Amino acid sequence: MRFFGIIILLILTSFCLQEFMPVFEWAFASRLLLVHAVFYTAAVAIPFPMMLGLALMTGYIWDARYHMPIYSSDVIPEYFIQSEIPFGFTIFIFGVMGALIQGVRPLFRRGRWEMPVLMIGLCTTLGLLLEYLVISFHRGGLEIPTELWWKLLMTALFSTLVSPFLLLLLSRLAASVNYRIKNEGLKRRYTYDGDAI
Amino acid sequence: MSRLNVIFLIVFVGLLIWITLFSPEKVGRIQRGAMVALNPFLKASSRLETGVKAMGEESLSPAQLKEKLSELKQERDRLKIEVIQFDGLLNENNQLRRALQYTERSARSLVAARVINRKPSNWYNTLIIDKGSFDGIVVDSPVIVPVGEDAGLVGKVSDVIGDHSAIVLLLTDEMCQVSAQLENSQEQGILSGARGVLRARPDLKLRYLSKAADAGTGRKVTSSGAGGLFPPDLLLGEVSDLKIGTIDAEATVKPSVNFDDLVDVFVVRPAPTRGTGDDEPSPSSDNNNAEENPEKKKGDTS
Repeated sequence: MRFFGIIILLILTSFCLQEFMPVFEWAFASRLLLVHAVFYTAAVAIPFPMMLGLALMTGYIWDARYHMPIYSSDVIPEYFIQSEIPFGFTIFIFGVMGALIQGVRPLFRRGRWEMPVLMIGLCTTLGLLLEYLVISFHRGGLEIPTELWWKLLMTALFSTLVSPFLLLLLSRLAASVNYRIKNEGLKRRYTYDGDAI
Repeated sequence: MSRLNVIFLIVFVGLLIWITLFSPEKVGRIQRGAMVALNPFLKASSRLETGVKAMGEESLSPAQLKEKLSELKQERDRLKIEVIQFDGLLNENNQLRRALQYTERSARSLVAARVINRKPSNWYNTLIIDKGSFDGIVVDSPVIVPVGEDAGLVGKVSDVIGDHSAIVLLLTDEMCQVSAQLENSQEQGILSGARGVLRARPDLKLRYLSKAADAGTGRKVTSSGAGGLFPPDLLLGEVSDLKIGTIDAEATVKPSVNFDDLVDVFVVRPAPTRGTGDDEPSPSSDNNNAEENPEKKKGDTS
């Protein structure tokens, strides 16, 4: 429980630090999504119900701060005005990606960080891509400029670069409060042909 | 999956659905709360950015500063006289309009605002300014900056998220569509940015021009005022290329505003409605007298 409290504090701190993250024009207007990186790192270390709770909290605060509410324009009639990405969509993204990243928990427990690091970058990119696809669906016509791929790649790269440090911080914090990552979900193993071991 | 996990998953999905069904008003209240909580960090990051930028700039000596101040005072006095002249002309114009039973023109006022956060969103070209509802700023207020002798369009206020903060949707965003026209021509089209292109100064597209459009390179593009959201004659950019299609033509436009260098902008406050008491000054107008100028460049949309 103490570890979960520490993680909540880490997430809240990351929201404050996110305000200081600059946009790198040379990197196709991408930036380090620190909140995402901290959440995905935490998702590697905590049990499934806690991950869902954290996804709710993180997604809610993220949308409260960064959700783009309503637009109108010189040529769109007022009755078409609505938000493109619904409020709460980030909770969904965090929930889905968090569940995906939970699959590499045993590796993190064994001290193998390669896969978790790659997964954090991948999940950040997939989450962003999902948002872009929802916007495209709303506006009609799927336009995928080359710049988009570069932006996704650079954002993933920033997350991947920062994640080993976050994993290190988290493992140190876990050790300091005697928190042990359990191998939930792996209690029943199956052989390749489906028979339980 | 264990039973506990399934229960948590069901609760999670239920809460998620409940949150997505929040009304826009409720979402607005939540966002205002978040903005109040994170405002100190937002301002600190803005100060840090300004400090970092200032390090690279050459500092002026006291004598140079004095000279600069003197120049600025002269400029201010000249502008004051111009404002008085424009007010006189506006009154005269309105008298003539009344005589001809035309709609009267009203002077719009500007609120100076500082950019405190750039591109907070991943997919929208936006920025946050330090003026909000307290300063009389409302959603859809146009945002402009001086570009030479003209007023250049930056974008529009897409949301007022607090007493002292508002989100500006930049002209370079696909969703900030503007009714535009080629200068000294009746040729009109719709100007917008491109999706997924989030560079500081991307090219804009002027669509739905006629095939016979005289849109040579370097031709200025201004707002037409036809949509009613943006005043006419705001500078948008210059034509850099023209493609003629089967039924219409599309011009590539280089924006006149450098969106990467925006520090101070002006928000056009809505024109006061006559006889409704709306022409009372806003709570902050006394504090912002130095910032507010009657808008010179724009006419009305009537």
